[in-house]
Amino acid sequence: MKFEKDQLQMVLALFLVAVIAAALLGVTDMFTREPIAMAQKAALHRALEQVLPAYANDPQNDEVEVGSDNEEVVHIYPGKDEKGKLTGIAWEVVAPDGYSGSIRILLGLHPDGSIEAIRVTDHRETPGLGDGIVKNVAWLASFAGKSLLGTAWAVKKDGGDFDQFTGATITPRAVVKAVRRGLEFYQARHQAILDAIGKADGRKLGMQGGKQ
Amino acid sequence: MNRSEVFMDGFWHNNTIFVQLLGMCPLLGVTTSAENGFWMGAATVLVLLGSNLVVSMVRGVIPKNVRIPAYITIIAAFVTVVDMGMNAWMHDMYLVLGLFIPLIVVNCAILGRAEAFASKNSVIDSAADAIGVGAGFTFALMLLGGVREILGQGELFGFPVFGDSYPDVLMFILPPGAFIALGFILAGVNMINRSLERRKTLYAKQQAEQAAVAAAVEAN
Repeated sequence: MKFEKDQLQMVLALFLVAVIAAALLGVTDMFTREPIAMAQKAALHRALEQVLPAYANDPQNDEVEVGSDNEEVVHIYPGKDEKGKLTGIAWEVVAPDGYSGSIRILLGLHPDGSIEAIRVTDHRETPGLGDGIVKNVAWLASFAGKSLLGTAWAVKKDGGDFDQFTGATITPRAVVKAVRRGLEFYQARHQAILDAIGKADGRKLGMQGGKQ
Repeated sequence: MNRSEVFMDGFWHNNTIFVQLLGMCPLLGVTTSAENGFWMGAATVLVLLGSNLVVSMVRGVIPKNVRIPAYITIIAAFVTVVDMGMNAWMHDMYLVLGLFIPLIVVNCAILGRAEAFASKNSVIDSAADAIGVGAGFTFALMLLGGVREILGQGELFGFPVFGDSYPDVLMFILPPGAFIALGFILAGVNMINRSLERRKTLYAKQQAEQAAVAAAVEAN
């Protein structure tokens, strides 16, 4: 095949455009990586303040990891009072079946397994419809105090205890399901979670002891 | 066209939304409030400015046959930059606008400006065009967002307009309300344009009459 001059020119032009675009993205990534991580940490901090019962520690600092049934690592954020006693735990559950993509929910529990509060941390739901899971304060509050037992974990349309939104049923249904799965995870694994938190405490105390 | 004409053409006479009816996806998707409309518009302005500038700079260098993939790559790069920047420094608004920021890539208005204007004009003219078109787009999004926020939630920029007892009017929060509000806004824009047109012809007529009178006086 003969390689024409203008063909070469086309390849070269596209190559150059791609290289410049890649360089631009690389530089942007360099500048934004840290602010993005900080913004996410700050957002998580604000969400933790809302879902955890009163605490005095830095839950992100005391984070522990626990394996779940499908061998995923779950990051647990424990809240503790001044004396180091556990006041509550929070972790992120994911609803993979939202109306458009996954919904990430921060779930905050009392040590006895009842819900303190939930907050949606990331979603791609329709503005004005599905984003009620972020904006509808009364709906979010309806999770407070609920436990795995004694609650019908479904939206009212499916015979459960939780409201759906006008024009949006799929989104709250996915959230309710994900929260229920989170509570089931806690029921199955709460000993492992408490052990992991206790072990982390012990390690920290040990480190302090070593310094003295 | 001088630069202010380029700006006004983009902002009003050929407004992306009001006249060309392009970019309907973000228009109907995010205009549930004036604030969302503004920030969506601002993100679009940045992408438009970047792509217009670069496309104008490389005009004549890019062979004609591969100009569309080249433009799309340039646009996609700027969209990703804006996406990362908003994620870093405007995290809350980034979460609200969500998917609509990456979708700026397929806003045909932006590729349209690259193809129809920036690839044929100087860098400074292309910048004026980007700012005019972008400001017009932002204005349209904010106007529609404001109308829907007032009618739907009784608020503007989050401040109550009709008091706290105003019930949410779901119609205007949902997409059908966007279509209805847009229809009325388009009617209003057409009315303004028509009365401007009428005034212009009237003025031209008066000028002609005066000229005729002056000519008659001269002849006498």
